[in-house]
Amino acid sequence: MPQIPLAAYLGLSSALFVIGAVGFLLRRNPITMLMAIELMWNAGNLAFAAFARNFADMSGQIFVFIVITVAAAEAAIALAIVVMVFRRRADVDVDDISVLRG
Amino acid sequence: MAPFIASLVPFILFAPLVGAATIALFGPYVHRRASAAVGSASVLLSFVIAAAFAIVVWHLPAAEQAAFTHSRFLGYWVHLPPDFVISFRLLVDPLSLLWILVITGVGFLIHLYSVGYMAADKNYRTFFAYMNIFVFAMLLLVMADNFLWLLVGWGGVGFASYILIGFYYDRNTAVLAARKALIMNVIGDVGIMVAIFLMYAHVGSLAYQTVFGQVDAIGTTALTWIGIWLFVGAVAKSAQLPLQTWLPDAMEGPTPVSALIHAATMVTAGVYLVARAHPIYDRAPVAAEIVAVVGGLTALFAATIGTVQYDIKRVLAYSTMSQIGYMIMAVGIGAYAAGAFHFLTHAFFKALLFMAAGVVIHNLAGEQDIRKMGGLAKRMPFAYWTFLVGTLALAGIAPFAGFFSKDAILDQALTLHHPWLYGAGTAAAFLTAFYMFRLLFLTFFTGAYRGEGEPHHDTPWTMSVPVALLAALSVAGGWIVLPGHDALSPALRASFADSLVIQDLSGFNWQVSIGTLILALAGIVLAYALYEVPSGAREWVRSQFGVMRAVLTNAYYFDAIYHVAFEVPTYALAGLLARVFDRDVIGALPRAFTALATWLGDVADRWETGYLRRYGLSIVVGVALLLVFYVVLTRGALWGAP
Amino acid sequence: MMSLYWICAFVLLLSGLGVISSRQPVHSVVGLIVNFATLAVLFLTLSADFLAMMQIIIYAGAILVLFLFVIALLTVGNVPVERGPGRLQFQATPSVVAGVLALAVLFSGVRVGWSQSAAANPAGFGSVATFGTQLLTTHVFAFEVTAFILLIAIVGVVLMAGRKEVRF
Repeated sequence: MPQIPLAAYLGLSSALFVIGAVGFLLRRNPITMLMAIELMWNAGNLAFAAFARNFADMSGQIFVFIVITVAAAEAAIALAIVVMVFRRRADVDVDDISVLRG
Repeated sequence: MAPFIASLVPFILFAPLVGAATIALFGPYVHRRASAAVGSASVLLSFVIAAAFAIVVWHLPAAEQAAFTHSRFLGYWVHLPPDFVISFRLLVDPLSLLWILVITGVGFLIHLYSVGYMAADKNYRTFFAYMNIFVFAMLLLVMADNFLWLLVGWGGVGFASYILIGFYYDRNTAVLAARKALIMNVIGDVGIMVAIFLMYAHVGSLAYQTVFGQVDAIGTTALTWIGIWLFVGAVAKSAQLPLQTWLPDAMEGPTPVSALIHAATMVTAGVYLVARAHPIYDRAPVAAEIVAVVGGLTALFAATIGTVQYDIKRVLAYSTMSQIGYMIMAVGIGAYAAGAFHFLTHAFFKALLFMAAGVVIHNLAGEQDIRKMGGLAKRMPFAYWTFLVGTLALAGIAPFAGFFSKDAILDQALTLHHPWLYGAGTAAAFLTAFYMFRLLFLTFFTGAYRGEGEPHHDTPWTMSVPVALLAALSVAGGWIVLPGHDALSPALRASFADSLVIQDLSGFNWQVSIGTLILALAGIVLAYALYEVPSGAREWVRSQFGVMRAVLTNAYYFDAIYHVAFEVPTYALAGLLARVFDRDVIGALPRAFTALATWLGDVADRWETGYLRRYGLSIVVGVALLLVFYVVLTRGALWGAP
Repeated sequence: MMSLYWICAFVLLLSGLGVISSRQPVHSVVGLIVNFATLAVLFLTLSADFLAMMQIIIYAGAILVLFLFVIALLTVGNVPVERGPGRLQFQATPSVVAGVLALAVLFSGVRVGWSQSAAANPAGFGSVATFGTQLLTTHVFAFEVTAFILLIAIVGVVLMAGRKEVRF
C-alpha cells in the first residue's frame, strides 16, 4: 500500500516537540514540566523511527530503544530529585527554587 | 703637544658628568667627604685641561690655531641625509674657551668653598652631584656647535637651577622660588625654540657654521625675528626685563649656588648667546637695538631697587641683574669684547661678594638681614676685607677689576653713538656705588652689632682660600686690558673676526673714565653720609620719598602685576579645567565605560537567576535562533539540501 | 492509510496540548497515556512492531506509574498547585514566540525534499528477531552502555532517597 510520506511524520514530530518545549517553559509544576519533557523525547523517537523506515536502516529503531531506556532512567532520577526538593513544601512551584543562582 | 691636549677636550665636558654619576652611584656608601672631593676634583680636571688647552693652543701661530679651534666631531645625533642631519660636536674657540675657563675655574673655587659651607647639611653629597650636573650642562651650552645642543644645555642649566634653588626642599619659599625660576626659564626656552624653527626653515641646518655662513641669504626681517626670539631666551635666562622676577627669589638657594649660578655663570648665558649669534645681530639692527635698550634699562632699573633692599643676598641679586644688564647692553651695541671682559671681571668679584657674604651668613648661623648686623668689621676682619675688595671692584673704583671693564662698556657706548645708553649706564654706576657701600656700611659698620646671637668664627680653609683667591683676581683681573694694551681683544679675534664692529679695547677715554670714577666716589660719599654719619638725614629722605621707597621695595610691583595678570587667570582656568572639564567632560568617558560594564553585568545577571524555567527559555530561544540561522539565512546551504 | 495518520496526528497533538495545559497533574497523566498509545499506533504504521510494544510496556506501563506515585506523594488536596501569578516576567511571550518561530522553520525545512515515498522495506523489518539480532551484533556496545545507564540511575536514586533531610 502507498506509504505515508516521511514529511508527514517529521511535521508531526516537530509539532509535538514544540508543544513539549513550550509546555516546559510555561508550566510551573515540576511534574508537569517533566511530562512535557517526555513529550519531547517521544517526538524525537517518532522522527527516528520515520527515518529508519525511510532509509530501511534498523539503526534508527535501535536508537529509539536506547532513547526509551535513557528516558526512563532520566524520569526516575528527575522524579527522585523533585520528591527530595518538594517533600516538605506546601507549594510545588519550580519558581521557588533559585539555589542555582550565581 | 697640541694634538694631545686637543684630544682631551671631550673630557672637559664629561668630567663633571662622570663626577655626578659617581657621586650618585657610590656616594651613599662612602664617607661624605669623598663625594665633595669627587665633585670638586672633576671640575678641577676640566679647568686644568681647558687651561692647558688655552696655554698650548694660543701660543701657536694663528694659522695653526685654526686647526684646533674648529669644532670636534663626536657623533651623529640625527642622521637622515641629506636633509636632516644633526651632529654632536664640541666647539672650543676663544669665545667658548673664555666661558669654559670661567665656569670651571670659578666653579672649582665655589665647589671648594661648598666643602666647608655646606658641611652641616644633611644632603651634602647630593649637593655636589647637583653642582656637577650644573657644570656639565653649562659646559654643554658653551661648547655646543649647533643651536640644538645649545638648547639642550640651556634647558639643562634651567633644570640644574631648579633643583639647586629648591635644594632646601622643606622650605616652602624655596620650592616656590624654584618653580618660579623654572617657569620663567621655560618661557625663554620656547623663545629659543621658535628661533630654531625659523633658522631651520630658512637655512635647513642648525650648525653655527652653516647658519652664520648663510646669514646674508636670509632676509633682514627673518633675521630680526630670529634675533628677537633668541633674545627672549636670553632675557629669561639672564633675568632681564621683563622676565627678571625669578632672580631675587632664587636667593633661596644655598649661597654657593647663588655664587655660581646666579652670578658668575648661568645668568651670563644670555650674554654668551648674543655674542655667539653676533653675525645675526650685526645684520639685524632692530633686534640689536632691542637687546641694547633692554640691557641698559635693566641695568638702571635693578640698581634703583638695590638701594632699598635689606637682605644681603637680595642686594647682590639685584646687583647681578644690573651688571648683566651692562653686559647685554654691550653685546647689543656690538661691543662683544667689552661684554666678555665685563663678564670675566664680574664673575670674579660677584662670586667673591657672594662667598664673602656667605662667610658672614655662616658665622651668624644663617642671618641674612642687614638690619640685624653691624659692627662686624672688627669681629670678622677676613670677611670685611674681602667684601671690601669685591665692593670696590663692583663699584668701579680704579685700579680694581670692575673699573676697566665697566668703563670699556661705557666708552664703547659713546663711541658707537648710543648716548642714552651711556647715560643710563652712568646713572646705574652711581647707584651701584651707592647701594653697595650702603650694604657694606650697614653690615660691617654703623655702630654696634644689632643682631641677637653671638657670631662664631670658624671659617675653614676650604672657604677662606677660594675667597682670598677671588679677592686677588678682583684686584688684578682687570689688568689684562690696560690703556693702550689690550690683551683680550686679540685673543678673541678668532671668534669675532667677522663682526661689523672692530673689537678693540685699547683706547682709553679719559673723560668717560674719570667722570664715572667721580660719580662712583660721589655715590660712596652719599652712602657714608646717609648711613655712617648719625643724623636725621635718613629719616628725612624716607619721609620725603615714601611712595618711591614703597615702589622700589616691591620691585616696581612686577610680582604683583604678574600675579594678577598670569597667576590668577591660570589658576582660575586650571580650577575650571580640573573641576568642569576633567571631571565632567573627560571623566564622562570612564564613567560611560563603567555604566556600560554595569549594564552588561545586569543583562548577564538575568541569565544566572537560578530559575529553571529561565535556563530552559534561553536554551529554547537559542535553538530557535540557530534554526533560523541555519535553515533560513543560509537557505540550508550549510548542509546541502537537495 | 493516510486517514489513519490524520486521526492519529490529531489525537496526538490534542493529547499533547492536554498534557501541558491541564491544571491538575493527574489530568496531564491521562493525556500522556493517550499520547503514548497513539504514538504506539504510529510506530506500527512505521513497521516498528517491537518498538510499539516497548512504548506501551515501558512508557505507559512503568514511567507513567512512577509519575502517578510521585503525584500522589506530593499533591495534597484538590487545590491547583500553581497558585498566583508567575514570578518571572518575560517568560511567556518569548517562549511562545520562540516556539512558533522554531515550528515555522522546521515546517519549512521539512517541506523541502524527502516528500517521495521510499521503496518497500525488507521483510522482517522492525520485527523482534531483527531487533534482537541488531541489538546483539551491530549495536552491542550501545546495548551494554544502556545497561550501565540504568545501573547508574538506580544507584543514584537509591543514594538520593536514602539521604537525610536536605533543606532548600
